[in-house]
Amino acid sequence: MNVRIQPDGDGPGGTHAPAGGGRRTSRRTGPDDTPPSDRQLQGGHPTAARIHQPGAGRQQTTRRPDPPAPGPRPRSAPHPLRVESLRGFAPWAGAGLLLALAWVLAASSAQWQGSWGTTTMKLSTAAGIIGAPFALAAGAWQGGRECRLRMTELRASTVRTPLVQLLTAALPLACWLAAAYLTATAGALLACAPYASAGGPMPLVHAGTALSLAACAVLGHTAGRVAPFRLTAPVLAVCGYVVAGITTNHRSDLRYLTFAPVGFLGDAKLAVWWYPALSAAWVVGLAAAAVLAQAAYRRAGALLPLAVALVAAVLLVRTGDGLLRDNPLIHRQVCDDSTTPRVCVNATHPGLLPEVTHALSDLTGRLKGVQNLPVRFEDAGRSPRQDEAQLPILTPFGWNAVRGKVTDPERYAWEAVQALVRQDCGELPSERIQVTDEAVLRWLAPDSVSEGIREEYVAQARQHGDTEELARFRAQDEAYAHLTAMTDGERRTWLSGYFATATQCDPKPSEVPSL
Amino acid sequence: MNVIRRVTVNAAPGRGLTPFALYARSRGIPATVAALVCAALLTLWVAGRPDAYLDPYRRMPLISLAPLLTSSAIGVSLHTYTRDLDDTAVRPWWPRRLAHLLVLAALAAALSALAVPGLSQEFGAAAMVRNTLGAVGITAAAAVLLGARLSWMPTTLYFSAVYLSGASSRVSNATVLAWSLQPGPQRGAWAVGLGLFVLGTALCAARGVRPEGPRA
Repeated sequence: MNVRIQPDGDGPGGTHAPAGGGRRTSRRTGPDDTPPSDRQLQGGHPTAARIHQPGAGRQQTTRRPDPPAPGPRPRSAPHPLRVESLRGFAPWAGAGLLLALAWVLAASSAQWQGSWGTTTMKLSTAAGIIGAPFALAAGAWQGGRECRLRMTELRASTVRTPLVQLLTAALPLACWLAAAYLTATAGALLACAPYASAGGPMPLVHAGTALSLAACAVLGHTAGRVAPFRLTAPVLAVCGYVVAGITTNHRSDLRYLTFAPVGFLGDAKLAVWWYPALSAAWVVGLAAAAVLAQAAYRRAGALLPLAVALVAAVLLVRTGDGLLRDNPLIHRQVCDDSTTPRVCVNATHPGLLPEVTHALSDLTGRLKGVQNLPVRFEDAGRSPRQDEAQLPILTPFGWNAVRGKVTDPERYAWEAVQALVRQDCGELPSERIQVTDEAVLRWLAPDSVSEGIREEYVAQARQHGDTEELARFRAQDEAYAHLTAMTDGERRTWLSGYFATATQCDPKPSEVPSL
Repeated sequence: MNVIRRVTVNAAPGRGLTPFALYARSRGIPATVAALVCAALLTLWVAGRPDAYLDPYRRMPLISLAPLLTSSAIGVSLHTYTRDLDDTAVRPWWPRRLAHLLVLAALAAALSALAVPGLSQEFGAAAMVRNTLGAVGITAAAAVLLGARLSWMPTTLYFSAVYLSGASSRVSNATVLAWSLQPGPQRGAWAVGLGLFVLGTALCAARGVRPEGPRA
């Protein structure tokens, strides 16, 4: 609320003008939480200004007010919304929320840069876990301001309706919080764009989330007015965390009632276009109902937004998983046909194909001309078919792939070659086949980490005098040396025979060529 | 005249109360203690659920939320309506402010720790004590900078931001940066938690909370 007070000075002191109209000659200079009347009024009621201003009454009785001196016309007063927006708690709350969101986004940037879906999910989760509880608490703090400053009577004496006064006090904070979220969103989308290669940002989702945050602030404002206690704001924040935690982790469709939509979206799912609107209608409806119930002249008008909120809630819960649809790209893949086997990556991140092909180039180079290999490394979001091998996972980002790069190509190739040889076999094959497998894996994807671990095991076996283990390592070394010593043609022929049974978990020993 | 005097004396607020009780009432200590007890009971109820009891990682939100609530209650209890009057006192205020913070922080830490059953080193009592002390430190420092009644704001934002960024391995493995997410005995996390407590408490005891305006 903004209340304008004319300074008493030489004139009849303490005349107060209604919020939102008239002119004023003084500017608000109070502390952040203090409205202009706080400095200029010494009492809770406007008349108190006349009573307590020293000298004001005496001046009034001893001489007439001076006629207005000719001079420049006083500036028209700024709109109360402008004053509320630029002064007081709202900008600080917006800055605080922006800082918290920026912290979270910066700390987890490796996980979302490069994927529009994950970026949206991260932003929505941040809005739900940080934004909504904070908006409720900040709104409650703002809503309790008039009671805290003992301005309730002064507010009641102004000519503007309670509804207008409430909105004037509540909307700037709501707008600042929504702006903070949108600023963080814009930064995140800009940071994601250089590394993303498919899909696009989801502006409707972000708009819906921003609207929900603003509604949460207004909802908190009404709660703060109803219960102007010191602990109202932090308790509301904790309640917001609890609701966010319950709705996010709930397995039933009640989770769609979370204050920030789509906390569980990724590359695999897309929101139907009306989901953000419906989700926002649920929260905005609640906030509007609370506002009208508290401040409207006809309080029965609150039933309309309440009905809208309830209808939106019923639709959200009844539609459930129908609010999300499969991303058509998730079941497609883009392939590089120039290699053996072919290398395919999911169509949600086709920009990674050159990088993955490059990481696997040593492996595919060594397999050139070899027969009986899988047709391709697949990444189509399903189990590999009989003639396919699973590409090592690229998503979620932050592990094997970060910002369009494979983090450790050597390790990635080692993981890829594991998919070619007896993957997902419960029981180990015979000792001879194990030795052969080890030599082939070692030759196809030499990996410094695996070599280091192997040397450590050999040293431990020597230290403990484990002759059986040492003999096994010696056999592996001999097999590896044999494979290395072959000519390229001999090796291709041998590997072609080897890969004919390389995917069988229990091959006949006679069918597996030995080294 | 005597009648008037007797009536006036009898009607004086706080008559018969000790200075300690007067101080406690002026700072809303009974309500704060009630809030601490409520927070502990809620913690006990949530931590006693079978899933949280069996899987310590499910207690992770709890060791962030409970300290948030208790530290907020302690922070707002630092508010005084008579700051100007207090400043005119002959006796120094810092021992009272220090005792105020220490007693309430110890009570909050003890109640919260007792409310978490199971292993103390896996998101249990140890982490609860550390986070409660750290949160009280941040809140006390915020009370000096922002005022007692708004002191919950930085703690709320900080704890929620750290909690959410804990999904990143880079952050969750950083015992100093993500001290409030560590399961228990990590020394770096304890050093940060205790350091924040000492710093915040000392700052608040020395400077007092920020005055919130003549009529606030």
